[in-house]
Amino acid sequence: MNADLEKLQESNKTELERRGSIFNIGAPATEAVTIRDQIAVGFGDGTVRFFQSGSDPKTVKAHKGVVLSMTNYEDYVLTGGDDGRFLKISSDGNIEEIFNFGSKWVDCVASHKDTKVCSSGKTVYIWTKNKDKPQTLAHQSTVAGLAFDNKGKRLAVSRYGGVTVWKLNNNKWTASNFTWKGSHGTVTFSPDTKYIVTAMQENQIHGWRINDKADLAMRGYPSKIKSFTWVGDTPYLVTSGSSDAVCWPFDGKEGPMGRKPIVVANGGKELATFVKALNGEKAVFTGFTDGSVLLAEIDESKKPIMIRSSTGAEVSTIAISSDNSQILIGDMKGSILLSSLWADN
Amino acid sequence: MENTSQVPVTVLTGFLGAGKTTLLNRILTEQHGRKYAVIVNEFGEQGIDNDLVVDADEEVFEMNNGCICCTVRGDLIRILSGLMKRADKLDAIIVETTGLADPAPVAQTFFVDQDVADRTKLDAIVTVADAVHLSSQLVDHHEAEEQIAFADVILLNKVELVEDNDIVKVNDRIRKINPFAKIIKTTRCDAPLDEIVGLNAFSLDRVLDIEPDFLESDHDHEHDDDVTSLSFVSDTPLDMDKFQDWFGNLLRTKGQDILRSKGILNFKGEQERYVFQGVHMLMDASPMGPWPKGKNRSSRVVFIGRDLDNMNLKEGFENCKSA
Repeated sequence: MNADLEKLQESNKTELERRGSIFNIGAPATEAVTIRDQIAVGFGDGTVRFFQSGSDPKTVKAHKGVVLSMTNYEDYVLTGGDDGRFLKISSDGNIEEIFNFGSKWVDCVASHKDTKVCSSGKTVYIWTKNKDKPQTLAHQSTVAGLAFDNKGKRLAVSRYGGVTVWKLNNNKWTASNFTWKGSHGTVTFSPDTKYIVTAMQENQIHGWRINDKADLAMRGYPSKIKSFTWVGDTPYLVTSGSSDAVCWPFDGKEGPMGRKPIVVANGGKELATFVKALNGEKAVFTGFTDGSVLLAEIDESKKPIMIRSSTGAEVSTIAISSDNSQILIGDMKGSILLSSLWADN
Repeated sequence: MENTSQVPVTVLTGFLGAGKTTLLNRILTEQHGRKYAVIVNEFGEQGIDNDLVVDADEEVFEMNNGCICCTVRGDLIRILSGLMKRADKLDAIIVETTGLADPAPVAQTFFVDQDVADRTKLDAIVTVADAVHLSSQLVDHHEAEEQIAFADVILLNKVELVEDNDIVKVNDRIRKINPFAKIIKTTRCDAPLDEIVGLNAFSLDRVLDIEPDFLESDHDHEHDDDVTSLSFVSDTPLDMDKFQDWFGNLLRTKGQDILRSKGILNFKGEQERYVFQGVHMLMDASPMGPWPKGKNRSSRVVFIGRDLDNMNLKEGFENCKSA
């Protein structure tokens, strides 16, 4: 752990709030992504706001209803809305409509290098460079999660009954199905791309080892898992959904099979709703139902530190600027805390 | 979470052509000063275009919790969660189902999914029935029967096209399936919206209002799989342990055939009334304040379902009476 993090531990719970800025937007913060030194946040009033330390956020009126999904793409953000629009937005407010699906929602978006992807209903649409028309991938039920592997060669699509992993070969996508009963939402590849994991509509997460499709059922949660993040070199998959941040080890040949997770960042009566890794550290930010946020090392013997105190509204997003200097925390009432992570020397 | 923050959800069922779209258009266009979102199905009739209309796929999912009738509407969980992120608060949400859909998965979604239950509440199941065609639909389609059986409110629509004595016949037919639904006779679904939306019919305290039209069990139905209802009354206080054993076991083993159940219970030694209401195997129960003074402390239960005659319901209920 570096010296700055230790300094942070010494600060009291209002330290980040004291030195940061608080904005009340009045609509739930739904998604946040980092673009260079800015953090773009999507809201339930259809706006995307670009936050930067030391200045007021820039507001872009993007969607009519809710910003449902968001990802970064070069120096832009891609957003999907409940107005059926799939948009490319620059921080100076320029909006390009990539496609309009009418009354169908754009539930999920993803990107890799020059490829833009969204889902609407049961279909995934893929735009590659220099092509106007998207390729389409059809599924038997509504798509609820999209994730590229780190090389952009495979695209995981979660849905009812499991995940379809599409592989790109010679400009053609071929499907491989990973099956597990129930409804699968957010999906992620492990950093070494050996595993895929989904958050289910039930109180569990489910994983598969890709090479042999071996199942990993991770249960015992008191509520749904809305968020997960990969932490450290092990790596750990840290999840929300419990009164602690639950950290599953994905090292070795078997990953978490037959092993117990580490639990850190106890929130008492509150349940964790959002988790976000602190890049380069074996530490995770955990947001709770009451709006509080703890920073904890993945080490049960260490005490977590309070980053944000209770606001009364559940934490719905956390983002860290790409240089690890700023943190942004958003909640379901639209309160945003933007603060410097490190105390001035 | 506080009840006041839960958005009421009305489930709208009924066969194609019964008048659902007419009703939805009224809900979306009338100057009622409220904000309603409408979730329509992909096979719906055309002609509704509004920012607050959401297309759904009617994806019925089985839960992994081992309960054989736990099917839920997966798309609904996703859509309701999206609607709850809106900056403007909705006064109500209306979910349209296709004419051939079983209403149970929609209702069960509100019992099973915690996120849905925290932020929304099932308000009522409203069925639009075509006064001209209902009788023949009941003969030909299981689904028509189930939609009548599940309903809290039935709009008997197109009454202007039917002779008075035929309306009486249709009304009686509905009553045989569902003795506690409120029946509103309409022309072009012209019932006041406040009799359709915002009823709180699934709230446990509304169970206290049930005054079913008690029918003799007259065994005149043609098939064993017809949907019927049975109701029982007892002035003798019930034994709580006995009732819980019997009722729990009943829902576990026969819950697939019991579409709806409701009741008010007078337990021996308890000052408060107990109320329950269920959809298939899932049910909600709670004490609901003391008995009103001067009123009979009698227990009342109602079951709507198939094959009720073979569940020994009367005997089971009688056995719950305290010694």
